[in-house]
Amino acid sequence: MSAAPMWKKLLRVDVALLILACLLPVVDQRWHLDMVDPMRGVMVFAILALGLNIVTGFTGLLHLGMAAFMAIGAYAFAISSCDIYPFQLGFWWAMLCTAIVGAFAGVLLGAPTLGLRGDYLAIVTLGFGEITQDVLKNLDVITKGTQGINPLPSPHVPWWTATGFGMLEFTSEQELPWYWLFLGFVVVAVVVCRNLERSRTGRSWLAVREDELAARCMGIAPVPVKMIAFATGAALAAVSGGLWVSMYSSTGEPGNYDFQVSILALCIVIVGGMGSINGVLVGAIAMLGLANIALPKIASAMQSAGWVSSGSVFGSPNNWKYLVFGLVLVVMMRVRPDGLLPAKLSIVNAKKKNAVEPAP
Amino acid sequence: MSVASTITNPILEVDGVTMRFGGLVANDCVSFQVKRGEVFALIGPNGAGKSTLFNAITGVHQATEGRVRFEGKEIRRDWSATIFARMVLNGFVLAFFVTLAIRATTLWKDVIVANYVYDEPFPIAQAARSIGTSLWSMGLWAVLLPALIGFAVGAGGYVTLWSRARRTPDLIARAGMGRTFQNIRLFGELSVIENVLVGMHAKLRCGFLANMLRLPRFYRENVVAHQKAQELLRFVGLQSRASEAARNLPYGLQRRLEIARALAGEPRILLLDEPAAGMNPTETGTLMELIRRIRDSGVTVLLIEHHMRVVMGVSDRICVLNFGKQIAQGTPEQIRNDPACIEAYLGKEELG
Repeated sequence: MSAAPMWKKLLRVDVALLILACLLPVVDQRWHLDMVDPMRGVMVFAILALGLNIVTGFTGLLHLGMAAFMAIGAYAFAISSCDIYPFQLGFWWAMLCTAIVGAFAGVLLGAPTLGLRGDYLAIVTLGFGEITQDVLKNLDVITKGTQGINPLPSPHVPWWTATGFGMLEFTSEQELPWYWLFLGFVVVAVVVCRNLERSRTGRSWLAVREDELAARCMGIAPVPVKMIAFATGAALAAVSGGLWVSMYSSTGEPGNYDFQVSILALCIVIVGGMGSINGVLVGAIAMLGLANIALPKIASAMQSAGWVSSGSVFGSPNNWKYLVFGLVLVVMMRVRPDGLLPAKLSIVNAKKKNAVEPAP
Repeated sequence: MSVASTITNPILEVDGVTMRFGGLVANDCVSFQVKRGEVFALIGPNGAGKSTLFNAITGVHQATEGRVRFEGKEIRRDWSATIFARMVLNGFVLAFFVTLAIRATTLWKDVIVANYVYDEPFPIAQAARSIGTSLWSMGLWAVLLPALIGFAVGAGGYVTLWSRARRTPDLIARAGMGRTFQNIRLFGELSVIENVLVGMHAKLRCGFLANMLRLPRFYRENVVAHQKAQELLRFVGLQSRASEAARNLPYGLQRRLEIARALAGEPRILLLDEPAAGMNPTETGTLMELIRRIRDSGVTVLLIEHHMRVVMGVSDRICVLNFGKQIAQGTPEQIRNDPACIEAYLGKEELG
C-alpha cells in the first residue's frame, strides 16, 4: 500500500466545497445569479446542523429542540452586545460569550435528562425547544418580548481596512463581507468537528452511539460523554444563532426559533448523512439551496412563463416548499437511506500505519 | 463437592454472590477465588447462571447478596470528601439559578434597568450595591426559600445519582477489569483499530480542548496510542485488517477483536464470555494458544466456555455451576472425574 499522491488527498468533498464557495462570489457577480445572499443562510444552517450532527449523528441522541440553542445564542449575543444593555461587548467577545452561554445551556439541559433513553430524551428536547420560545417571549423586561433586540454590532476586522480591503464593510446592504465571515465560521466549525471526531472525545461519542453497554465496559462513563456532546452541539448552535442575528442586526421575535427550525436542522443531517461532516455541508446546501435558491427561481420562471399568476398559491414558494421538502425526504429514504454522503470510517490514520508496517 | 481452598492474595474474590430476578434465583451463593496469573474457567450447562455472574462481577447487574472483591477491595464509589464537595457545589449552583430564575425580572429591573443610562458608562459599584438592596427589599424568605429548594434539589439529586451508580461497569473497567461479551458487542460502524482505541479510552489523557485544538500533546499521545493499538492487533492476529469496519469481519475475528479491545484497557484480569462459541476446530486451537499467551503476559483470565476441549486445555482451575448453584470446583482432572459434574452434563446413570 503506497501513500496516496498529493492531488488525490486534496480530491475531497470538503476541499471541493471550499473552492466552490470561494469561486461563487466571482461567478455570481459575472452572471448575476443572486446566490450570495441565500448562501449566507445556508452557511448559518450548516453550522447549526454541524452542532446537531455532534449530538444526533455522532452520539446518537435524537434532539428535536436545536432551535432553542440557536435562540439562546441569538439572545446571548444580542444582550451582551446591544447598546440598550450595559454590557456592550464587541462582536468577537460577544460571539465568545455566545458560545460559552450556549455550551452552558446545553449542560443545564443535559444534566438532568441524559439518563433518559431514546424517545424520552427526544420528547424532553422537543419540550425544551417550545419552552425556550415562551420564556424569551414572556421575559420581556430582559428580552424585549416579541419586539426583538436591535441594533446589534457588526464585526470589526481591522486588518481588512489596513490592507486596502476597506470596502468590505459589514452593513446590512453589503452581502459579500458577511459571506466571507460566515464562510470563515463554517471552516472553523468543520475543523473543530473533524478534530473532535478523530480523537478520544469523538471515539467515545461514537462508542456510546454504537453500543452503550460495551462502551461502559470499556471504562467510558456515558453521561459525561453525552454531556460534552450536548454542550459542544449547543455551543455551535448558539454561534449559528449569534451569526444569524448579527447579520440582520436584530434578533427578530422569539417565535422565529420554532420547531420548524429544529426539524430543518434534523432534515439537513438526515439528508446529508448522519454522522458525516461533509454530508451535513452537502445536506445544508441541498435543503436550503432548494428552499432559498431553487424554488424561488422555479416560481419566478413559472410566473414569467405565464403558468401561474403572482397571486395564486404557487406564486410564492413559501406556500409549497414543505410539500417539496416532504417529497425530497420520502425519495431520499427510498433511494439513499444513509444520506447523500454517508459517514465513512475515519481510517486515514489506520491506513498510514498499515503502510509503514505491511502484514507479515 | 470440593471445598474452596483459601488462597493468599487472590486477584478476584467472589464471596457468596446471589442474584435474584424476582422469584428466579440465577446465582445461589456462589463463592470462588481466582489466583493471580491463572486461567480460571466457569462452566455449566446453558442457563446455569454463568453470564449473570459475569454481569454481577463487572457491575452490569447489582448482586442481590454477596460481595465481589478485586485485589482485596470492593470497587465502588464510596462517600468521600470529594463527593461531599461536589454535592454542596451542585446544591449551590442550583440554588443560585433557582433564585435567579424566580427573581429574574425584579433583579434585572433593580440592577440593570435602574442603573443604566443610555450611552453613559455603567456604574458597576452602584449596580453591585443594588443587588443587595434589591434582594433585601424582597424580604428574607422570598429569597431564602427558592434558594433552599434549589439547594435541596441540587444536592439531593446529586446524592441520588451517586447512590444509584455506586458500582458501575465503567468504574470497574477503569479499575482494571476487562471483559468480552457472549453475543459480540463490537462498535460495528467503527474500524477495527478504532475499536481498540476506544478500549484505550481510560488510559488516554487528552481532554476536550487538547483534542479540539490539536495541541502538541494530542499528536504525541495519538502516535503512541496507534502504535499500541497496532501491537495489540498483531497480538491477536488482526494487524492486516486494521482499517476494515468491525462489522465486516468474520465471526471468529470479531471475537479476537473483542479480546484486543478488552486488553487495550490494560486490565489485570480479563473476563472472556464464551470466546470459542461458533468457532471451528482450527480457530479453537488458535484461540487456546491466544488465551495462553494472554496468561503468559501476566493477565489473569476468567473464562466462561462450553467447548470442553478449550476448558480442559487451558484452564488451571474450574468452577462448575448448575441451576445457579456451585456444584464443584477444582483442577480439570478433578472436575473430569467429579460425579456431580458428570451428572449435570450427561444426566444420571440409570443403568449400570
